Amino acid sequence: MRVTQNITTSNFISYINQHAENLLKTQQQIASQKRINKSSDDPIGMGQVLGYRTNLAVTDQYQENIEQGMTRLEFNELTLDLSSDLVNTTRKLAENYSGSTLSAATRQSAALQVKDLYDQVMQMANSKFNGNYTFSGHATNTAPFSRDADFNATYNGDDGEFRIMVSDNVEVSIVADGRKIFQDAAHGGVNIFDELKNLIDGLENPDPVAGSVQIEATAKVLQGGRDQINSRRSEYAPVLYRLQATDEYLANLRPKVEDAMATLEQADITKAVVELQNLELAYETTLATAARIIQPSLLDFLR
Amino acid sequence: MMDIFGVLNMGSKALMVQQKGIYVTGNNIANVNTPGYSRQRLNISSDLPINTGIGPVGSGVTANEIERVYDRFLGVQINNETQSLGQWEAYKDSLERAEMVFNESGGYGLNQVMSEFWNAWQDLTNKPSGSVERTVLVAKSEMLAATFSQNYEDLQQIQRDIDSNIEGAVEEINRLSENMADLNQKIIQMEAGGHAANDYRDQRDLVLKELSELIDIDSFEDATGGVTVSVGSGQVRVEGTQAYKLSTQTNTSGRQDVTWLDSSNNPVIITDNISKGKLKGWLDARDVDIDNSLDNLDILAQRLMEEVNGLHASGRGLDGSTGNVFFTGFTTAAGIQVNPEIVNDVNLIAAAEDFDPANGLKPGDNGNAIAIANLQQAQTMNGNTATFGAYYDSLVSDAGLAVQQATSYYNHQSQMVLHVENYRESISGVSIDEETVNLIKYQNAYQAAAKLINTADEMMETVLAMI
Repeated sequence: MRVTQNITTSNFISYINQHAENLLKTQQQIASQKRINKSSDDPIGMGQVLGYRTNLAVTDQYQENIEQGMTRLEFNELTLDLSSDLVNTTRKLAENYSGSTLSAATRQSAALQVKDLYDQVMQMANSKFNGNYTFSGHATNTAPFSRDADFNATYNGDDGEFRIMVSDNVEVSIVADGRKIFQDAAHGGVNIFDELKNLIDGLENPDPVAGSVQIEATAKVLQGGRDQINSRRSEYAPVLYRLQATDEYLANLRPKVEDAMATLEQADITKAVVELQNLELAYETTLATAARIIQPSLLDFLR
Repeated sequence: MMDIFGVLNMGSKALMVQQKGIYVTGNNIANVNTPGYSRQRLNISSDLPINTGIGPVGSGVTANEIERVYDRFLGVQINNETQSLGQWEAYKDSLERAEMVFNESGGYGLNQVMSEFWNAWQDLTNKPSGSVERTVLVAKSEMLAATFSQNYEDLQQIQRDIDSNIEGAVEEINRLSENMADLNQKIIQMEAGGHAANDYRDQRDLVLKELSELIDIDSFEDATGGVTVSVGSGQVRVEGTQAYKLSTQTNTSGRQDVTWLDSSNNPVIITDNISKGKLKGWLDARDVDIDNSLDNLDILAQRLMEEVNGLHASGRGLDGSTGNVFFTGFTTAAGIQVNPEIVNDVNLIAAAEDFDPANGLKPGDNGNAIAIANLQQAQTMNGNTATFGAYYDSLVSDAGLAVQQATSYYNHQSQMVLHVENYRESISGVSIDEETVNLIKYQNAYQAAAKLINTADEMMETVLAMI
């Protein structure tokens, strides 16, 4: 083949461009620490990376949901614990004041105490979490319970349950129907407010004997009321456990997804640096040889 | 004739021929870097012999012609490979720009925005009556709609840029064609006189190559030396000294079609007949790849809107309202937006599944918000085989794959062209070393011829001194 200076130079330019381009690419990988800097670097890998990213974003959100759900459960738990104590106090009070020999004044002051306890229980039942009533079903802007002057309680909420998204298409429900906790007569349970009203009526009954019977009757039922609240509380335990377990699962999943994503997306720096050195060598030797070949011509050797 | 004058004559002819040789060599050296230049060679032969008593005797040297060292088939091959190179180059460049629209590596693309949109729905499930959650959801949804529009607009902008590239290329083709017709005329005129128009031919080959880069061409040379060039399915661009014009016109989809004006100036659309060159690369990117991406974005936006709207309309707002759509304004993905009524009143967002006419509103009901948030995981695309996210991810992959393929074709084609060009250079290129040797060769011959004249002169003096 007849070789002219132009062949040498155009070859040289073409190869030097190639080397420079490869160098740039490797340098980019090292600088960005990423193997995939645009989709065409690895189209399939890019698609997978995006899938992982979506996965991580939604996992974060599930964990956020679970955290809020757990706070809500803990709040409910605390509220019901206090409610149960209050009901227990009224039960003890009923037991202590069931004797028919007590004076009207003593019973009257006990009645006042029970009225106060009644309102405290109702205050618990009307607790707000995060600005919303927790025991009124879906009617979260309505106080679940109210009473008239004669201590007749009404439920103003509905039977809605609170649902929490914990995983793909998996939801956990929390009881939010206040009736199931405080007024479960419909299911053979205890209507705590009615029972407290009975206690007040008994204490206020002008006939001490009839009153005593009334008071005694409430003491037993109130024990059942306390059990009813506690049994709802115990229903929260498996839900809380499930939330915790899911949270733990997601927390464990996260680093695995991150690992898989890093393997795909991130540059192997050691490999990239070795490659860079190789490319550098190729680039420099090309430059060096070109510098030696391009310069001389026959003219340099004449005379 | 074998007298002293014969020797003098022979010396003077040799001087002239060697001088011509130096001139041709000088021209080669001067054009060593001229694009498209083919080295020239002085063809010399011994002059006609003269019959004498001792048989025919040579009468010195004569220059026949200046010849251009050239392989005509290589020229055709260069043009063909250049057509493909132009095609892949334009295609690759356009696809690379389209890929930028889907650039997700920084994490600020549609993938991210969609995730945030679904997460905002999940946030709403945690507090369905919360006005902060509702406002954030509207903001994220507007962001999603804006990103759809932005991506769509960006892709359309690439198509518009391609259109102006096409218009520019058509003007360039017309300029080159006129250039070509002009060179045809010069060559025909010059070669009618019997001498090869070497330099004009080099220039014409170069123009032909530049033309090849832009559009697929067929060319052949007729007996007069004029080249006829045709494009597409045989529409003549240049015939002898006549150049026909290409033009562009806007078609029904608002894009530029390439037209050819026939002899009575009637436009013939040849867009579909263009099979190579930059024009082909641009047309493919514009009408196939980018159109596909636009269609896919449309499908994604439309399905998302249908699914979200369907659930949303069946749910209940905080004020008990129902039947409201969440997204409106779809004609293309560019037109999607959040229902302005919802933007004005976030209470219209239907987080609740249910409404109880007896007991009133259900602000704590998050059933519908959960249903909508669950759409993220639902197989809603590709005939219920892919989620919205997976569908979009595959769009990004496809855009990258197209660039990857185009780049590998382009790199391959660049190497091809480099090889063919080098091969041409190997035959037609000027070598400084070679020319230097020739220079010395001619110079030596020139010196020797001068010596011959000198000798003849001395012989004459000797003869005259005898008188």
